[in-house]
Amino acid sequence: MSVFSTKAEKVFILAFFFIALGVPLFFNENTFYVNKISTMLILSIFVMSLDYLVGKTGLISLGHAMFYGLGGYLFAIMVPEYEEVNFWIYTFYVMAASSVIALIVGLIVLRTSGIYMIMITLALAQMTFYFFADSTEYGGLDGLFIYLKPETSIFGLNFLDLDNETHFYYLCLLSLFNCYVFFKITLQSRFGRVIDAVKENPERATALGYNIFHFRLVAYVLSSSLAAYAGYLFSLQYGFVNPTMMSWEVSASALVMAILGGLGTVFGAILGVFVYESLHYGIEHMTQYWMFWMGSLIIVMVLTLKSGIAGLVEKLVTGKRK
Amino acid sequence: MDMSLFLVQLLNGVQYGLLLFLIASGLTLVFGVMGILNLAHGSMYMIGAYLVYYFASATDSFLLAVIIACVIAMIIGIIIERFLIIHLYNRDHLDQVLLTVGLIFIFNAAQSFIWGNDPLGVEVPELLSSSIQLTDIVEYPVYRLFLSVLCIGIALAMYYVINNTKLGMMIRAGESNREMVENLGVDISKLFTIVFAVGVTLSALAGIVSAPIVSLVPGMGERVLISCFVVVVIGGMGSIKGAFVAALLVGIVDTFASVLLPGMSSMTIYLLMALILIFKPQGLFKS
Repeated sequence: MSVFSTKAEKVFILAFFFIALGVPLFFNENTFYVNKISTMLILSIFVMSLDYLVGKTGLISLGHAMFYGLGGYLFAIMVPEYEEVNFWIYTFYVMAASSVIALIVGLIVLRTSGIYMIMITLALAQMTFYFFADSTEYGGLDGLFIYLKPETSIFGLNFLDLDNETHFYYLCLLSLFNCYVFFKITLQSRFGRVIDAVKENPERATALGYNIFHFRLVAYVLSSSLAAYAGYLFSLQYGFVNPTMMSWEVSASALVMAILGGLGTVFGAILGVFVYESLHYGIEHMTQYWMFWMGSLIIVMVLTLKSGIAGLVEKLVTGKRK
Repeated sequence: MDMSLFLVQLLNGVQYGLLLFLIASGLTLVFGVMGILNLAHGSMYMIGAYLVYYFASATDSFLLAVIIACVIAMIIGIIIERFLIIHLYNRDHLDQVLLTVGLIFIFNAAQSFIWGNDPLGVEVPELLSSSIQLTDIVEYPVYRLFLSVLCIGIALAMYYVINNTKLGMMIRAGESNREMVENLGVDISKLFTIVFAVGVTLSALAGIVSAPIVSLVPGMGERVLISCFVVVVIGGMGSIKGAFVAALLVGIVDTFASVLLPGMSSMTIYLLMALILIFKPQGLFKS
């Protein structure tokens, strides 16, 4: 069995990581673009986690940004204020804490599915948003600042400096790569095949003796904790967290990016993020009413592109027409 | 909490709940009959409020402004259904979510383009601007009472239309079996247009009549949409009766929570929702 599901995926992934490795060399004078692309890599992790949840398990969440924001907040809350902590240890803490939260939230939201789940995930995410926005302890709408970036020594070796844009860029790229490989392995494992079955036909999966609730819960926790990891990276990049990170707009645009890229394709998440963010950046540059054009674009996309850009790439690569 | 304060809060809670019902009933009606989840439902609330602001200052008459705003909202609803929603009937929920999110973006851009981002206010119409003396020291504004009465009136009218008219019969039939209604020769596309336009207008109407008691800010639509989701989830999606009970419950709980538990008032209704979901995953009244 090939690592890649389609030819388009193979071409895209190889080209993407090859080009991405060279980005800092290309922009070595201009850290602005390196930072911008680092943010897109982080977003790709976030969108990939959502794509896994929505595209592979068929559970639609419109509140995934809750975990994105929580990743940042968990770090900002746990870290001692003026102390340099270890990146890897805190990565573990953040992901462990967010998994526990995801488990509890999952127990509530997974009792439902379809339209109900869309509404409940959105409502719970808004609840968390207002919790942080109204709190005085966690900085309200201004959020919290992260004064010192963690150091990254591992077994005494320290080769990454998070204050250095290029180093941070490679950390993001490595994280995205690991995330991609992780999802690929998960999808091709026995667990992944049961998840497929649960999505395609829940009744039959139940009849075969699988407890579909447990499988969905595990997928939900995996997806949520990776979203939290992305949020954690984002907060490290910019040195702060605020409730905007978990606003419904973030959840909605992540969903748009996942669908734009081609739902359930995993690699499409990267494609979706880069296309959407480039458009967003370009349109925002020209007019302050960028939301109008983005909105129109989304509507046109829904009405015309049924399998996202990934489907388009697939058509181009294979030359087939449906 | 003394008796009069309790009464005032109760009236506020009921009034807020009735307003929520107005919005939620539109959402749940559209979902029940057409199977469409319209996320831009809250945006219509916002558009209604801004339209009445615009026409109230342009025409100097609140009543006239209400009528014009309602008509415009209905036209917007018809246009959206005829040109966009019509393509979604056989697609999954995800496409509905995307398309209506796109609409939210467009409405928000339109709002900030036309009216700007500063908070705006609408004056309470003169006829209803007085207050009633509840006790020696406690007063209650007439406008809020008027709102409650109006919402109850609309709720009764909806009840009548749905249970006693031909249109209502088709709506009930559409809720229980869409394909069958079509096969029986009912012009389903006309029914869908009417239901969508009415649903959207209900939401806009809620925005219109609440404009004098809230401040008009960007994002007001989304805030309302979320509360409306809580109502619909508690009441049971597609059930108008459920929406009524749940809206009153949410309105009263939310109002009392902001008095009794000031620290966590914005979270109370979500906790209520989570609690109800644990026992009734399909809501109180599954349709």
